[in-house]
Amino acid sequence: MEILNALVALSNFVLIPAIAYGSQLALGALGVTLIYGILRFSNFAHGDTMAFGAMITVLVTWWMQSHGIHLGPLPTALLALPFGILGCMALVLVTDRAVYRFYREQKAKPVILVIVSMGVMFIMNGLVRFIIGPNDQNFADGTRFLISARDFKKMTGLDEGLAIKTTQALTVVVAVICVALLFWFLNRTRTGKSMRAYSDNEDLALLSGINPERVVMYTWLIVAALATTAGVLYGLDKSFKPFVYFQLLLPIFASAIVGGLGSPLGAIAGGFVIAFSEVTVTYAWKKVLGYLAPEGMSPDGLLQLLSTDYKFAVSFVILLIVLLFKPTGLFKGKAV
Amino acid sequence: MTETVKNTALFLGVAVLVVITGFMQSWNSAILIVNMGLISAIMAIGVNLQWGFAGLFNVGVMGFVALGGLAVVLVAEPLSPEAWSAGGFGIVLALLLGAATVVAAVLVSRHMPKGRGRNLAMLAVLVLGFVLYRAVFDPNVMAVEAINPAAAGNIGGLGLPVLLAWPAGGLLAAGAAWLIGKTALGLRSDYLAIATLGIAEIIIAVMKNEDWLARGVKNVIGLPRPVPYEIDLQNDAGFVESAASLGIDPVTASTLYVKLGYSVLFMVVLLVLLWMAQMALKSPWGRMMRAIRDNEVAAEAMGKDVTRRHLQIFVLGSAVCGIAGAMMTTLDGQLTPGTYQPLRFTFLIWVMVIVGGSGNNFGAVLGAMLIWFLWVQVEPLGLFLMQVITSGMAEGSALKSHLIDSAAHMRLLTMGIILLLVLRFSPRGLIPEK
Amino acid sequence: MSDNPYQDGRGNKDASITNTKGMGTMTPAHRKSGPTTKVDGGPFLIGDTMTGGYGKGPDILHECTIAVNPGEIAVIVGPNGAGKSTAMKAVFGMLDVRSGSVRLDGEDITKLTPQDRVVKGMGFVPQTNNIFTSMTVEENLEMGAFIRRDDIRETMEQVYDLFPILREKRYQAAGELSGGQRQQVAVGRALMTKPKVLMLDEPTAGVSPIVMDELFDRIIEVSRTGLPILMVEQNAKQALAIADKGYVLVQGRNAFTGTGKELLEDPEVRKSFLGG
Repeated sequence: MEILNALVALSNFVLIPAIAYGSQLALGALGVTLIYGILRFSNFAHGDTMAFGAMITVLVTWWMQSHGIHLGPLPTALLALPFGILGCMALVLVTDRAVYRFYREQKAKPVILVIVSMGVMFIMNGLVRFIIGPNDQNFADGTRFLISARDFKKMTGLDEGLAIKTTQALTVVVAVICVALLFWFLNRTRTGKSMRAYSDNEDLALLSGINPERVVMYTWLIVAALATTAGVLYGLDKSFKPFVYFQLLLPIFASAIVGGLGSPLGAIAGGFVIAFSEVTVTYAWKKVLGYLAPEGMSPDGLLQLLSTDYKFAVSFVILLIVLLFKPTGLFKGKAV
Repeated sequence: MTETVKNTALFLGVAVLVVITGFMQSWNSAILIVNMGLISAIMAIGVNLQWGFAGLFNVGVMGFVALGGLAVVLVAEPLSPEAWSAGGFGIVLALLLGAATVVAAVLVSRHMPKGRGRNLAMLAVLVLGFVLYRAVFDPNVMAVEAINPAAAGNIGGLGLPVLLAWPAGGLLAAGAAWLIGKTALGLRSDYLAIATLGIAEIIIAVMKNEDWLARGVKNVIGLPRPVPYEIDLQNDAGFVESAASLGIDPVTASTLYVKLGYSVLFMVVLLVLLWMAQMALKSPWGRMMRAIRDNEVAAEAMGKDVTRRHLQIFVLGSAVCGIAGAMMTTLDGQLTPGTYQPLRFTFLIWVMVIVGGSGNNFGAVLGAMLIWFLWVQVEPLGLFLMQVITSGMAEGSALKSHLIDSAAHMRLLTMGIILLLVLRFSPRGLIPEK
Repeated sequence: MSDNPYQDGRGNKDASITNTKGMGTMTPAHRKSGPTTKVDGGPFLIGDTMTGGYGKGPDILHECTIAVNPGEIAVIVGPNGAGKSTAMKAVFGMLDVRSGSVRLDGEDITKLTPQDRVVKGMGFVPQTNNIFTSMTVEENLEMGAFIRRDDIRETMEQVYDLFPILREKRYQAAGELSGGQRQQVAVGRALMTKPKVLMLDEPTAGVSPIVMDELFDRIIEVSRTGLPILMVEQNAKQALAIADKGYVLVQGRNAFTGTGKELLEDPEVRKSFLGG
């Protein structure tokens, strides 16, 4: 019984939040890694791309809510997501046409593109704040819990409750679908393969008749879809605040690098590694260990390794450790 | 038009902008712009050393600036013997233990043969070290933070003159940079960008959370100043008299006097650093730096230790940013860790360097002054613009109030557009590298 | 510093923000294709009295002529730095041809980009980086056939028949193969476009003599199908032995031209290039 209680507490406070957060990071890191693999630079504007897509979704959700369109137990945002994705796609394509393409024609060094992406970051950041403001926005609706802690206790008779938020379950389901689609696309379709080929060897791809501009366009479209989805899921799970998305850049970069930049599989693994370490290191283990330790030996302190404010620090330390031992990341940062 | 004439004209242009501000708004805000512009110029020189001279991508400027700010508290705050006797020494001991743990782990990894044994030994050292560290650290921190938490609760400073904090800030930043550079530049391929991005966030997190150090988000206010206080000047009969003879009221005169005092101090530091940076650029060391940047393979073949040179310039550039950070905290008179934002303290400095002209110290200075001016002035300009745009709209319409409320965010948008325009049409910046 | 400010990366090689692996290094002579004109007669593929160099640089080729006809193997040999690869690159549109012309199958293609030459039927196998290392052998072949919209299975079978080892390793990443096998993938990839002419830039560079002989056998086999082959080779003797036509280049000029046999027997050629 005690062990079961410990297990439930562990799932409730560590496993489930970490899985949800990991899925969000993985989706974000996939976008970063695709851009890195194919456009060959780290996109500093990625966090703000996520924020922009999520913002469009929030606006459409509000509009739907005001017109009485609902999705029953599921959040309305799910219905608005395709619109957010379309909006984000339009934004990144316009950005690519107006900004990045010129540098490709000039055969600019990737590091120049990184600086360019800083400029884009400023603009997108300003744009989002300009349209929706810098504050927290609530757009979640539908049933809050799949299983609430009280129901779980009643059902199982355990002391510990297990709560699964609808958004958490949704995050995982949507992330799995996205990742499956992405891998199917990259490994099974002609266009997907041409993207991998371009990332692997640009010259040979050209000689094989692959049109770089098409590859780049598809990459942006996929990245926009991934970024918006990640942004909306994060917003539903936590809350939508433009600045938070900008701050997500660090754990997302860390995930992509830990996994091995340019490797989609690595991005997913990296996302979960970072999420699990952040959550475990900043979780107060008193409760779980309280169940496991023998009578009278339960710990006095909170048993929290680090305060939650250090979660960025955790992603970075993990990053350093991985780089010290495996400089190319867990999945050998080979090209996409 | 020769280059010198063009560059002088550019600097004069910025000066004219400041003068216009003085006449249109107030001289107080004009001098405030100059002061922060001077500080920004120093930060830009630091980043320019790294990016312009050596091609190192530092996106953690914020962290070094914040460390400079921390140095001000640690140097200039009055001594707090109480805190030291309560737990200050314990904290130092704990930190030493922590450092010893890391050193021990590194030693284990260096000297034991590869394999599971080494990994386990390292893990054991780290876990044991961490437990020990926390056991010493936590009670002492509690003791320190319990002392007068409403006004202090930290270990205080050394009670030294605040001007000493400026070089100290540089040293602190240099130390941190050395650690980062040692790890990130030593890896097989360099990972400096992500390392600096991460470290900057960590530094801010530490400063926000470790209340014993500098009170965290409770902020340290009323830091000592290198210039007189306005109120003292206003009470000084001589000062009031000379103000009156210039036809300025004593309150305005005192604020202007104080700000100008800062301007002079900052200008001196800027000129010294600029002179040093120029000397470095022209010295054999600077020439070698650029040779490495332009052709690393050839430089390496000539026997240059590239990693070492990169580490040197990274530490130097970061130290300059630290000095600027200390100056900024001194100017503010307070340390507020909550206000450090990467957009403002890292990426804006990058905009300054790129717009001014990477690789050219004068360009960095010009870019800093110009961009800082715009950063400050775009907000009122944006508001004005929005008022013009919305003037035709119905009073109280939702769109109108939204547009006017949002004008404040024009600033980020403008910075992005400026950066992109310069990168596109004048990629070498306003004053290109020679 | 680079002349183009956009290409000035200040020597930055930060792997956390930039990815230089697999980046394009090709410097095509034309960024956009110009017009082609019909011409009659002459060999199937000919680089006719080509003079030119890279970008704005000095001339490297001087009135150099190279031609190949169906069923033939033409080999370009010569000492190091003679401009062998350069001559082939000129035919492929990677070199600014300032005078002279390149004609393929009765069409003047001098102003086409390399990509458009591929569409016109040139199969090109670069000397290095000539496979997609992270993709499987089969995917490499599929990418070779990217410009085709018809059924590629038949061609793929032909390639597998020609290089049986590739059929065995079809699901393995091409980067994991040995040097000789990689070259087979590279040639196979080029064959997938069903080219009208195959151009090989030092296909035996860096492989052992045994593998080299095997590769040459395969190349002869390809040539028997009627596909003209133009090849640059470092191993002059072995290459001339299988060549129908040989071009000896010296400092970007045609020094000797003849059938492979003639050149092998020419005392002057033997003395200066074949080591007696």
